[in-house]
Amino acid sequence: MATLDLAVTASLVAPWAEWERRGLAGRRLLEAGTYALTEGAIAAGCRVVAGYPITPATDIAEYMSKRLPQVGGYYVQCEDELAGMHACAGASLGGLKAMTATSGPGFTLLHDAYGWSVTNEIPLVVVDAMRVGPISGITGAPGQGEFYVARYCTHGGNFETIVLSPSSVQEAFWLTIDAFNLAERFRTPVTILTDQVVSDMWEDLFIPDDFDALDFVVPRKHNLMMPFYPVGSADLDVAPNVIGHGTGVCVSAYTHTEEGYDIEEMEAQWAQTYRLINKIRHNRDACTRYETLGLDDAEVVAVAYGANARTVKTGVVEARRRGVRAGFVRPITLWPFLDELYAADRHYVVCELNYDGQLVREVARAAPDSKKVHFMGKSAELHTVAEVVAGLDGVARSGKLPELPYIWTEVR
Amino acid sequence: MNKLAQKYLRPSQIPTKACHGCGIGMIENWLLQAIDELGLQQEDVIFGTGIGCVGRQTFATWGGDNFGATHGRALAVATGLKLAQPDKKYLIVVGDGDAASIGTSHLIHAARRNLGVTVICEDNMGYESTGGQFSPTTPAGYVTNSSPYGMAEPPFDPCDVVKAAGATFVAETTATQWHQTVKIVKKALANDGFSFVHVRFPCNENFGAYALGTRDTLKNLEWIYEHTQGRKADGTETDFTWETGIKHDASNSRPEFSKIMRDVNLRVRAEMAAKAAGAAAKP
Repeated sequence: MATLDLAVTASLVAPWAEWERRGLAGRRLLEAGTYALTEGAIAAGCRVVAGYPITPATDIAEYMSKRLPQVGGYYVQCEDELAGMHACAGASLGGLKAMTATSGPGFTLLHDAYGWSVTNEIPLVVVDAMRVGPISGITGAPGQGEFYVARYCTHGGNFETIVLSPSSVQEAFWLTIDAFNLAERFRTPVTILTDQVVSDMWEDLFIPDDFDALDFVVPRKHNLMMPFYPVGSADLDVAPNVIGHGTGVCVSAYTHTEEGYDIEEMEAQWAQTYRLINKIRHNRDACTRYETLGLDDAEVVAVAYGANARTVKTGVVEARRRGVRAGFVRPITLWPFLDELYAADRHYVVCELNYDGQLVREVARAAPDSKKVHFMGKSAELHTVAEVVAGLDGVARSGKLPELPYIWTEVR
Repeated sequence: MNKLAQKYLRPSQIPTKACHGCGIGMIENWLLQAIDELGLQQEDVIFGTGIGCVGRQTFATWGGDNFGATHGRALAVATGLKLAQPDKKYLIVVGDGDAASIGTSHLIHAARRNLGVTVICEDNMGYESTGGQFSPTTPAGYVTNSSPYGMAEPPFDPCDVVKAAGATFVAETTATQWHQTVKIVKKALANDGFSFVHVRFPCNENFGAYALGTRDTLKNLEWIYEHTQGRKADGTETDFTWETGIKHDASNSRPEFSKIMRDVNLRVRAEMAAKAAGAAAKP
């Protein structure tokens, strides 16, 4: 690979970097991203998928309807996405790992269930295969419009969310297992923010033969005693609550006590908020995943996630070949936001698939000099390698992005 | 505390925060009587609620496992929970907003799937916890805080809706019919499928005060009673009549949702095993 020829420093911080080195027995397939997401979920122990078909996540529904009965699970096609995620929450409360999969139009419909799962600390995985919008937009074109929606995916504030984004079919498989693990460890829904390209494209995919032998899968535990909600604690690995084992657990939409009783006192609200926010903030290392390239000498760093991180990465390699001291940052954990990746004082060129500018605002906030943060927004199709090279070269030469057709640079 | 409450409820959570004269506590007592007469224990029943007067006042009163869903979504939660915990009885105690307005789509599809739960729709004919606005079950013409000139829209009967959607047990009763309600709830719980029990009860603070002009519990109960009889105490006819009783009883006549799903799994896995055995038998 070109990256090796250039002797550039590369780093992948994610648990699957180690999983891939284990030499597991398995099969190599040519398969779609949705297939990888499906098999990753089943490998992680997912046994209930409830949702509503929507392009480009429909294939997950179809694959799941075939695969889940084979492993003793259940596929429920619900009346809408809101019902789908509530049914997943119910299944998870009953002790089964569950997942729902949708796209932007469905993602905005399930926020009530997302909040209910956050406040009740219900482990779940939600896939949002983003397409270009707003609203229905173009069903078969990629977008990255739910970067903030995924962070603020319910109302009322007072919570943190975990959002991960894969950029290849293989990574979609590993990352889905990881998402289920994080959901169990943090007792919270985890969103996989993918896009139409990663969902629909076919690629080389390694799948281990024996899912039961994957010792890195975090098994479901059951909390059989009080406290049902360790309010005021930021502990990880608290066993999820379970309904149907006669524990007397109470689950609700209200501010709750340790027992789950509804309460209208500020002190109880603060104690609950402390846990929902700090179980994630205090354990950020446990959910930090990213990829970098050439950061030791880079003066201009391209930032991208998901599908377009692939062409952007190639653009960085090409720019280096042409003598530009370019680097690459691909946040895999989108939320909590990895401020530390932008701590060095250099130029950042943020490439994302929207014209309004979302990721770029967070990079501008985290970087030492927001004037050195540049926006290369593109809509409905990936950045080309030529565009990325021209952008990096322009910033390296003059500190400014050159004008390019189809590229939006205004944020404010 | 009465003996049924002592046996089944949480002493710390009762009496509820319901208003003086509210029918919610009385109806819950009748539910406990039905549960007791069926010999069910705390751990046999999962108690689900929604949002509003009925959701808030009954949530966490049940001594066993409880869930209080977001508004209207108790049946959506129960759809997933039933797959994981198929052997439990589910008592889904919700109001007219939860069942007949914000959550109607889930009500219809739970009935269609024959989801094995008993829905007790406690209907106070409006949104009373937000101060008394009309709901889809407020009788036409009656004054509420959002229908000051009288409820202009026609109401619908949720029993008709769930029956058309495929519910296997449908009944209507009111807070004036103690023994009838207990008998109906027992039958509803005995159905391994979707049971719907519609129970009208008086709200004195809002519906009573604004629609009927009185906060007197007995007068509000009497108004409900008269409308089950079609005749007022003075012998004149009421403006409409509620026909109470069992509306539809097809109990245990078709497979319950989670059983359908389990049967699919068993069939698929048996076919897989047969195929594998066939492949292994080949030389």
